[in-house]
Amino acid sequence: MLISCNRLKKYIKDSDQIDWTSIWDLFTIRTAEVEGLKIYGKDMKDVVIAEITSCENHPTKEKYHILKVSDGTKEYSILCGAPNVRKGLKAPLVKVGGMVSGIEIAEKKIAGVQSEGMLCAMDELGIGAGHEGIMELPSDAPLGMDLKEYLPIEDIIVEIDNKSLTNRPDLWGHYGIAREIAAITKHELLDLELLEVENNQEDLDIVIKDTENCNRYCGLRVEELKNNKTPYEMQIFLHYAGMRSISLFVDLTNFVMLELGTPMHAFDNRVVKSIVVEKAKENTTFQTLDHIERKLTEDMLMIQNGQEYFGIAGVMGGLESEIESDTDAIFIESANFDATSIRKTATLLGLRTEASARYEKALDPNLALTALKRFLFLLYKENPMMKITSNLTDIYPNPISEKKIELKKERLRVYMNYEMPSTEVHEILESLGFHVSEEEDKYQIIVPTYRATKDITMSTDIIEELARMHGYENFEMIPLKLDLTFKSHENMWDEEYKVKRYLATAFQLSEVHSYLWYDSNLLNKTEVEKIGVKLLEKSENNILRDDLSFSLLPIVKRNLQNLSECNIFEIGTVIQKEENHRHLSIILANDQNKLEESYYKAKQIIESLFKTLKGIPITYQTKKEFDYEIEEVSKGILVNQECIGYLKVFKNKIANYIGKKKSIVAVEIDFDQFHRLAKQTKEFKSANKYPTVNLDYTILISLDTKYKALEDVLKEFKNSMIFSYQLIDIYHDEKEKKVTIRYTVGSEEKTLEGKELNDFKIKFMDHIRKNGFEIME
Amino acid sequence: MKDNLKQIIINLEQDLKNATKEADILNLKAKYLGKKSELNNYLSNLKEMTSEEKKVNGPLLNQIKKELENLVNRKLEEITNQETITFDDTKPVARKFGSLHPITIVAKEVTDILKRMGFTVVSGPEMESEYYNFEALNIPRTHPARDMQDTYWLDNGYLLRTHTSPNQVRAMQNYGVPLRVCAPGRCFRNEDLDACHENTFFQLEGMVIDKDISISNLIYVMESMLREIFQMDVKVRLRPGFFPFTEPSFELDCSCLICKGTGCPTCKNTGWLELCPCGMIHPNVLKMSDIDPEVYTGFAFGLGLTRLAMMKYKINDIRVLNNGDLRELKDFEIE
Repeated sequence: MLISCNRLKKYIKDSDQIDWTSIWDLFTIRTAEVEGLKIYGKDMKDVVIAEITSCENHPTKEKYHILKVSDGTKEYSILCGAPNVRKGLKAPLVKVGGMVSGIEIAEKKIAGVQSEGMLCAMDELGIGAGHEGIMELPSDAPLGMDLKEYLPIEDIIVEIDNKSLTNRPDLWGHYGIAREIAAITKHELLDLELLEVENNQEDLDIVIKDTENCNRYCGLRVEELKNNKTPYEMQIFLHYAGMRSISLFVDLTNFVMLELGTPMHAFDNRVVKSIVVEKAKENTTFQTLDHIERKLTEDMLMIQNGQEYFGIAGVMGGLESEIESDTDAIFIESANFDATSIRKTATLLGLRTEASARYEKALDPNLALTALKRFLFLLYKENPMMKITSNLTDIYPNPISEKKIELKKERLRVYMNYEMPSTEVHEILESLGFHVSEEEDKYQIIVPTYRATKDITMSTDIIEELARMHGYENFEMIPLKLDLTFKSHENMWDEEYKVKRYLATAFQLSEVHSYLWYDSNLLNKTEVEKIGVKLLEKSENNILRDDLSFSLLPIVKRNLQNLSECNIFEIGTVIQKEENHRHLSIILANDQNKLEESYYKAKQIIESLFKTLKGIPITYQTKKEFDYEIEEVSKGILVNQECIGYLKVFKNKIANYIGKKKSIVAVEIDFDQFHRLAKQTKEFKSANKYPTVNLDYTILISLDTKYKALEDVLKEFKNSMIFSYQLIDIYHDEKEKKVTIRYTVGSEEKTLEGKELNDFKIKFMDHIRKNGFEIME
Repeated sequence: MKDNLKQIIINLEQDLKNATKEADILNLKAKYLGKKSELNNYLSNLKEMTSEEKKVNGPLLNQIKKELENLVNRKLEEITNQETITFDDTKPVARKFGSLHPITIVAKEVTDILKRMGFTVVSGPEMESEYYNFEALNIPRTHPARDMQDTYWLDNGYLLRTHTSPNQVRAMQNYGVPLRVCAPGRCFRNEDLDACHENTFFQLEGMVIDKDISISNLIYVMESMLREIFQMDVKVRLRPGFFPFTEPSFELDCSCLICKGTGCPTCKNTGWLELCPCGMIHPNVLKMSDIDPEVYTGFAFGLGLTRLAMMKYKINDIRVLNNGDLRELKDFEIE
C-alpha cells in the first residue's frame, strides 16, 4: 500500500516536528514493514504558473499554436501542440533550463519557431495520468509562483508491505497509519472533519436480507451537484497513491477509502430504485464494471437494485450503476460486509479488488458511517450548493458491541520481563485509542471498534500493543534458566544422523533428497502400477510412495547420464497402509556385469550396519517385496526372525530403463524398526594367552553348488579347538569351484601341539568327505 | 692358532666393510661360521685334542665364534636400520568419500547449538492430520492462513504438513511442561517449481514453555542461536508479525551477513535480513494441549533450514537440493 506523507501530516498536530524520512525505520519495528520510500517532486525544477497572453495558429502546421506566455515578469515565446490552448489560460510553464520528470528543457527551434520553454500536461509533470491537453490552472493561481509551492507536488511516498497489514484492518487507510505515527512520536492525532446530516427527510428504500453477511448499509442521496471536477491537490494524491483520477464523485469514494480504509460506492442516482442486499441465485450471471460477464454462485452476496443485480457486494460494481459524466445526483453507499464471505466470493471469482482486499481484513462497521460523513464533508467543499434529499439511512442489523479486556499486571510483567509503569500503560494504550482504567492488580481496557473486529481479542493482544510501543529494541536479553529436571526424549533424529554419517564415511555413499510422491513418468515408462494415498487435485506425480528405493530411481537415471555408477542413500518417509514410516534406502547402480560386485557390497553394508551400530547379526530369507524385483536373489533381512528390510535387485526391464545395460541393487530398511532395536553390548573378552594357528583347506564343489550347501556342512563340524572360520576365496575353473576356508584354531589352556593339529586335520577332512565333497590335501 | 683366529676376525671385519646387501652378509656368515668355515674346522678338530688343550682352546674358540657372530649380527642390524627410500613420494592419491546432504549438515549444526541451550530434538510425521497442522495451532477452518499455505490435501482426509509447527503440538502432548524442544523436518506446499520456489523444503521448529518465559528470553535465544550459526556477531531485531499460533508474533530480522547492517543489494539496502518468524505461544495453543496459559508461557520459532543451507553454501537455485545430482551434491562431503 502506498502512503503519502503529505496526507498524514494533515491528521497530526505539529506534524512538522516529525522527520518524515527517518520515522519509517521506527514504524517498521513498531507497526508494519516499510518496503520502500520514494521522494516525489525532486525531478521538477523551474516550473512556474504562467498565463497565455496571445495565441496564434502556426502558419503551416495545423495542430500547433505559437504562444506568448507570461510569468508576470517576462514574456516567453512558446510553440505548443496541445488542443486546449487559448488566450487567458493559466498553465504550468517549464522554463529553459528547468526540469520535468527528470528531463531538462532546452531552448529549441521547432517547426521554424524558437520555443523558450514548454507548457505541460499532468503526465509530463509526473503528477497525474492526463494527457488530453496542458494542465489548466484556476484563474486565481498566482502568476509566476513555483508550481511546487502552489500544489503539493513534493511528497514522500512510502510503500508498506500489504502482508504485514493482514491482521490490521485499521491500517488500510492513511488515518490509521497517522494514528500509529502519532502514537510512536507522541503527537496528537487530529479529528477528521465530517459533515453531520439532519435526518428530517425520508429514509431510502434499503433492505438487508442477508443479515449474516452484511453488517451494515448506509445510504444517502445528494442532488444538485454542479461541480464534478476533482481538485488538483486530490488528483495528485490519488496519482501518488496509485489510483487514477476519474471524476469528483468517483475520486471521493477512492479518497475516503484511502483515508479511512473502508470502501464506498457512488451510484448514478437516476438508475437507483431500491437497494436489496441478498445472496445471488445459483447459476446466474452479472457483468461487472470491467465488462466481464461473471458467473455467480449462491455463496456470493449481491447488491440489488429493485429486481436487478447492481453490484457484487464488497468486490465490484456493475456496468449499469456507473456514474455518467452528465449526472448531478448521486446515491452514496457505505457498507460493511462479513470478511469471510467477501474473501470467498473474491476467491471464487478470481477477482481481487481494492475493495475486497480491504473487506477481507474485517473492517470496523462503525467506519461505514464515518466514511459517509467524511465523503459529504469533502463533497460539500466542492459543491456548496448541493442538496441532501434523503435521510442518512443506516441499516445496522449487527451493531458491534463494546469489547472489554482485563489485563493482569503480573501477566504483563511476565511477558515483558519488565514492570511497566502505569503511566506508560495509559499513555501507549490511550494514544492508540484504547480506554484504560486501572485497578490494584489489573487494568480494564476498552478496545476501540476499529481494532476490535479481528486483531484484539484477549489480554495477550494488549500485551503486544504495549510491547511493540515500548519498543522491542528496548528489551533486555535474558538467557533461559537452567532446569535440570530429567526429561525423557526421543533420539530418532540423532540416530538418523549417525546412520547417514556412517554410510557416507564407511561406504562412500552420497545422501540425496527426493520427493514424497512417485514420478508419473517413471511409473508409465516402467509399467509399474502403484496404488497408494493420492494428492488431491493433481493428475501427475500424485501417488505417495510406498517404496523409497523405487522412488529414488529418477535420481539414479539422472546421474547415470553423467556417471557410470551411482551409489546413493536417503532416509525418508514412505506411506504404507496409510501410515507414515521412516525408511532407509541405499541404491548401488553400476554396469550389468558388476551386478555381483554391487550385490555383495550391499550385503556388506547391511551386515556392517546392523553389526557395527546395533551389535546385532542378521539373516536373509529369499523373498521379494514388489514384482519389479528379481525373485531369486532378492532377500528379506531378518532380525530375530522378523523381516525388517529388503535387499532388492531390480529386474532388467527397470534397470535398462534407468540406464542401458545397468544393474541396480537396493537396500530398503524400515528405519522405525531399526531405531527400536536396542544396541547389544558385547562383554569384554581378554585376548587368548596362547597362540592360535590358521589352517587353510581347499574344498572342491561342483559348479552348480552354492556356497550355502558347503556352509551347512561346515556348521555341523564341531570341535572345541575352533575359534572361527571364514571363506577366503572361491576359484572357478572349467570343471569345478575350489573353495578355500580358513580355520583359526587354538586353546585357552595351552599351546597346541603338532599331533593335535594333525588330529584336527584328519577329523575335518573325514567330515568333509563323509558329506560328499572332495578336499585337497 | 691364536694368531690365525685373530686373522679370521680381521678378515671378516674387512669383508663386512665391503658388504652392503643383506645377502652378502649372509654369505659371509656362511663363509666364516658355516660348516665349511675355517672356524668350524678348528671346532671339529677340538675332538681330537687332549683334555688339557681342550680346556684352553675350547673357550677360546667359543669366544672367537661369539665375536664373529656379533660382528655379523651388528652389520645385519646396521643394514636393516638403514633408511633407503626408493619410492616416488610425489604421486597424487585418489580420495574416496561419500557425502551428506547440505540440509543434513545445516540441521546438525543448528540442533547441536540448540542442544547446548538444553533443547532436545523431536520429530513428527510428514503426512499429518488437519488437527495437528491447523486446528491445534489456533488456525480455524475459515482462517485465511489455510489459503495462504497452499496445502497438499490427500484423498484419505490427511494432508502433507505445511510447516513443522505440528511438532509443537505433538511435543506438548508427548512430553508436557516444562518443554524445550526443536524439530527439524520436511514440509510441503503446493507451489510451482522455479529457482526460488520448491514444493518440498525444510524448516526447524523451536519451542520453549516454562513458568515466567518472556519476550526477553526469546530475543536472547534467537540472537545466541544465530550468532553461533553464522559464527558472526549478528544483531537481531523484532518487528510485529502475525501468525495465528503466537501472540504477540514477530518477524525476526538478522543484521545482514554481507554488509553487516550498512546496506547492500542482498538486504535491499535495509541492513536487515528477514530470517525467522517467531512469537510468544498463543494461549489457545497451550490450552488446546492442556497446558494452563495462566501458569505457563512460552515462545516458538521457525527457521527455514532450506534457506539457511542456501545462504551458507551460496546456492542460487533451490532445485539443486532435491534433484539428486551427485556432480553437485558430492561436493558437500560430510563436513
